This record gives sequence, C-alpha cells and structure tokens, in this order.
Amino acid sequence: MRLLLAVALLVPLLAAAEPATLVRAAELKKEPAADAATIVELPENTALEALERKGGWTRVKSASGEGWVRMLALRFGAPGDGKKGESGLAQAFNAARTGSSGTQVTTGVRGLDQEKLANAQPNPAELEKLGQFAATPEAAAGFAAKGKLAAHPVEEVR
Amino acid sequence: MSRALLAALALLLAAGTAQAQFRIPNLDVNRLLDSAKNVAKATHEIDQNEEIAIGRDLAATLLGAAPLVNDAALQRYVNNVGRWLASQTARPDLPWQFGVLDAPQLNAFAVPGGTVFITRGLLERMKSEAELAGVLGHEIVHVVKKHHLKAIQKGAYTALAGDALQMALKDKNSAANEKLVSLTKEIYTRGLDKDDEFEADRVGVVFAARAGYDAYGLPAVLQTLQGMNPQDSGLALMFKTHPAPAARLNALAAKMQATMDAWADQPQLAERFRALVKVAR
Repeated sequence: MRLLLAVALLVPLLAAAEPATLVRAAELKKEPAADAATIVELPENTALEALERKGGWTRVKSASGEGWVRMLALRFGAPGDGKKGESGLAQAFNAARTGSSGTQVTTGVRGLDQEKLANAQPNPAELEKLGQFAATPEAAAGFAAKGKLAAHPVEEVR
Repeated sequence: MSRALLAALALLLAAGTAQAQFRIPNLDVNRLLDSAKNVAKATHEIDQNEEIAIGRDLAATLLGAAPLVNDAALQRYVNNVGRWLASQTARPDLPWQFGVLDAPQLNAFAVPGGTVFITRGLLERMKSEAELAGVLGHEIVHVVKKHHLKAIQKGAYTALAGDALQMALKDKNSAANEKLVSLTKEIYTRGLDKDDEFEADRVGVVFAARAGYDAYGLPAVLQTLQGMNPQDSGLALMFKTHPAPAARLNALAAKMQATMDAWADQPQLAERFRALVKVAR
C-alpha cells in the first residue's frame, strides 16, 4: 500500500518531464546561473528531458547527466520533430458533433473558433457579469503584496 | 523635367489609377473614399470615453462567441493579476476588467478601453501566475498602445471599420450596432500587424517585470505553444492572427535577454496559480 502511494506520488513528477531539443549549443550548468560551474558543453540538436524552469533556466536530464540550460536554447519536442500530437480538441469536437451516442450537441461546445466568432451576437448579460469581477487598484495592490510582488520601474525596449 | 510635364504625368497616373479602380466589378469607389475619410476623421476624434464605449460593444460581441467561465474565484483572481499589471502602465486609470472565456481553444484578446480576455484553454496550459502575467501583460500592451484603434486608422480593416466608428460616435442605433458587431469579427479574425504583436511581446515582458513577476513568464508560455502541434485545432485562430511562437521566442531572445535576466529571480507564484486553476493534466 505504502509502495503504491509512493508510486502515485511519483507519477506527476515523471509526467512533468517533457522531451525537448537544443536549438543551439548550450552549456549544461550545475546551478541555474551564468556563473555556475559548467558540467559539459552540449551541441545543437541534443535531445533532453525538460523538468522544471527557474527564471531563464530549465533543469534538464541529458545523456551527460542532470543540470540547467538556458531556457531560450530549448524547444519542446524530439529533435527534428518539434510537433506533438493534437491536444484532442479536434477529436473531441468531431466526436461531439457526429456523436455515436446520438446526443444533440449545442454550438456552445465548440468554444471560441473562427466560425463561432463569425456567428456571434452581443451578449450584454455576460458583459454586465464581467464588470462585477473587476478589481480596484487598491485590492490588486493588496493581492500583489500577499504574493510578495514588488513594483519597480523597468524601461521599455524599442 | 518641366513642371508642365510633371503635371501631365501626374494626371496620367491619376487617370490610370481611377480606371483601374473602375474596372473592378461591384466596387463603389466613392463610398470607399468616403469611408477612408471617415476613418481618419473618426479615429482622430476618438477620446478616452469613446474608446471605452466602443470597447464595451466589442467585448459584448466576444462574450457572445464564448461566455465567461462560471467560477467567480477564478475571475476575481485573474482580475487581481491583470489590474496589478495595468497599474504599472501609462494608462492606469482605464476601467480595466479581465475575463476568462469558457472555451477550450488557446487564445487571448485585448479590447480598446481596458478589457482583456483569456480562454480557459490557454489558462489550463500555464504553470504559474508569472506565465499568466506574461500573457495579460502582452494584451495590456495592445490597449495601452492603442494598437487596434491605430490599425483601424491605417485602414488595415475594410471600409466597414470607418463606417462603424463614425456611426457609433454619432449616435447609437441598430445600424451602428450591427456594424460594430461586424467590426469585432473582422478585428479578431484578422488580427493585428505583426510588428504590433512583437512590440506587445517586448513590452509585455517589461510590464510583468515592473509588477514584480519573473520576467520569463511570457517566453515560457510561447515555449509551451511552440511545443504543440501547429495543426492542433485549438491553436487555429491564434496562429492565424499571430507570428509563429518560434519567431516570437527568437525576437525576445534577441532584444529582451538582458531585461529578462535582470528580473528572472522574481516570484513565479506557481502555488497560488495552481490553487485557482484546477486542471486535469
């Protein structure tokens, strides 16, 4: 039982690992910092498993061991592939529309695609509802403070 | 070249252009020209109150395509994040409001006057509040920089846009409303100029950093989108109206690396995000 629980706890961690590829050569670092020790220089197109992100760094599992690489050097997907499967939306919609179950499906199921937008009519009731959830600047500032978010000036980049 | 010759040439050119126009079937040139004038006039005169009023009509139509997710706590959470970000911009006094649309597709929309929408589908792909802040920051830039109004002014949309604004500004009648509904559809299915999207990425990162978030939130979302199948039906409308995620990531890497690194160690707030956004991954 305890083993089962341990396995169950491990599953989400494993599920978080995603296949990724280096789009350029990158140093595998011991820590998520530019001045951290370099474990090895990984060449472009190296296949990796992405585990977690911390700022501009992603922890990865590579054939040369675990470490951190520049997040922007990574693209998700296996080398030369870059594409993962359909998220299931199309299948879900097709199933819903042609439905072997025979249930009538309302257009609402489709969500917000181009066709739905083309047939949209204003919904004033929802607009009114939207306004009820708005936050005051003061409430938002309190919310930010709870999350230890500190505002400070940062210059725009042209 | 003599002045007379120049004038003659100009006349010839003008005649040629006019002829070319009249050869196009079913095109009312006069009406087009009038509308072009209206666009320039209308957008020139749009003040903040008018921008907000027009925005409400556009927002109502988007809400007609997909309603709000029925989760008050989630809606309030997204409003807190968005309002905090908006307070760090040049237009903190707009009536900012944020809404999560109940749609499985991945998308987000900015509406003139301070309304921003994000779909449930996009929210569910995110891992932290910093990622949400990155996307809301991008949309807030469209509002702060008036990208949609400027696109209408430049004539990026059909003559319809000028008519709609002109009529809406004059008085609210059913014809004006109908045109605004059409304008909404055109704006959000055709999208903005690519340069405006790249600017929204750069400045969106800045807004998130100003608000105290890990500045890598937006690139993290772009990386998630880039890893999906571009043929995925949930991405169709967003990919039609935005540059490819890989191009957006490259542009951020080229211009924003220093800014992002300077503010990379700020909070991601993944736990607070996960408490509100319950997803079956």
